[in-house]
Amino acid sequence: MLDWTIVVPAFLTAAVEWVEAFTIVLAVSLSIGWRAASGAALAALILLAAMTAITGGVLGLGLDIRWLQLAIGVFLLLFGVRWLAKAVARGAGLKALHDEALEFADTRALVARGDWMASWLIAFKGVLLEGLEVWLVVVAFGLHGRAWVSSTAGALAALLAVVAAGLMVQAPLRNVPENAIKFAVGAMITAFGTFWTLEAVGGAAAWPWGDWSLLGLAAFYALGGLALVVLLRQRSTAGATR
Amino acid sequence: MSAFLKTLFGDAGTVAVVAIVMAAEVSLVANDQVVSAAFAIPSLVLVGTAWLARR
Repeated sequence: MLDWTIVVPAFLTAAVEWVEAFTIVLAVSLSIGWRAASGAALAALILLAAMTAITGGVLGLGLDIRWLQLAIGVFLLLFGVRWLAKAVARGAGLKALHDEALEFADTRALVARGDWMASWLIAFKGVLLEGLEVWLVVVAFGLHGRAWVSSTAGALAALLAVVAAGLMVQAPLRNVPENAIKFAVGAMITAFGTFWTLEAVGGAAAWPWGDWSLLGLAAFYALGGLALVVLLRQRSTAGATR
Repeated sequence: MSAFLKTLFGDAGTVAVVAIVMAAEVSLVANDQVVSAAFAIPSLVLVGTAWLARR
């Protein structure tokens, strides 16, 4: 039975990362061919799958649940706050939106300077680094409540969706609303991180409404983030006209 | 290696924000202010997010 509160954030997080990885692999494939670029991507995915299995096995070896919750919560906070802040900055116009076409052109330029092996490594490293964040989320959600199937299913479904869309358009996936997804996922993951760290430090009684507090936290960060976008946009506009 | 660490932990600003949040959680719980922490910590996280966004 899938836990949709895990599947959805895992799917959305993974989708954003896989889109970026696809852009890199596509750019490299134009230089060393589809087969070699896909091979590099597959090698990175196999490494990520092995990392997920090993971490899951090691962390599941009877460790105290509070320490696990604390460690996972801290990582989710690090990750969630970063994404939420980035999405707010982009939404407010303080930072340029992520452009897959620009990323594609940059990778093409990088590949043009190197040989076959260097290009292969660019694809491998690109997928590995983008996939690291997917790994973090899959492990974090998988460990809490033993929702391994749901978190892995979310990440794999995102991978299949991105590959299918990529094969159809055969170009960087520019129309994915990356910033909106980053904003929503940032709010959700920050909510999970806050919930787990305080529960680990202060005990189960720390949250007045138990698990329902998670929903409240996600709404708080989403609405707070939107308010920040408006506030920071107004400030930057006022600063520009001064 | 630095790209790997940055992907896992983020930049120094992100680490600082989370370290302050964790210190505040521990301090509030140690001073028996667990109920206040449930309201204060999310606000602190949002302030940290605003600071990171403005940098």
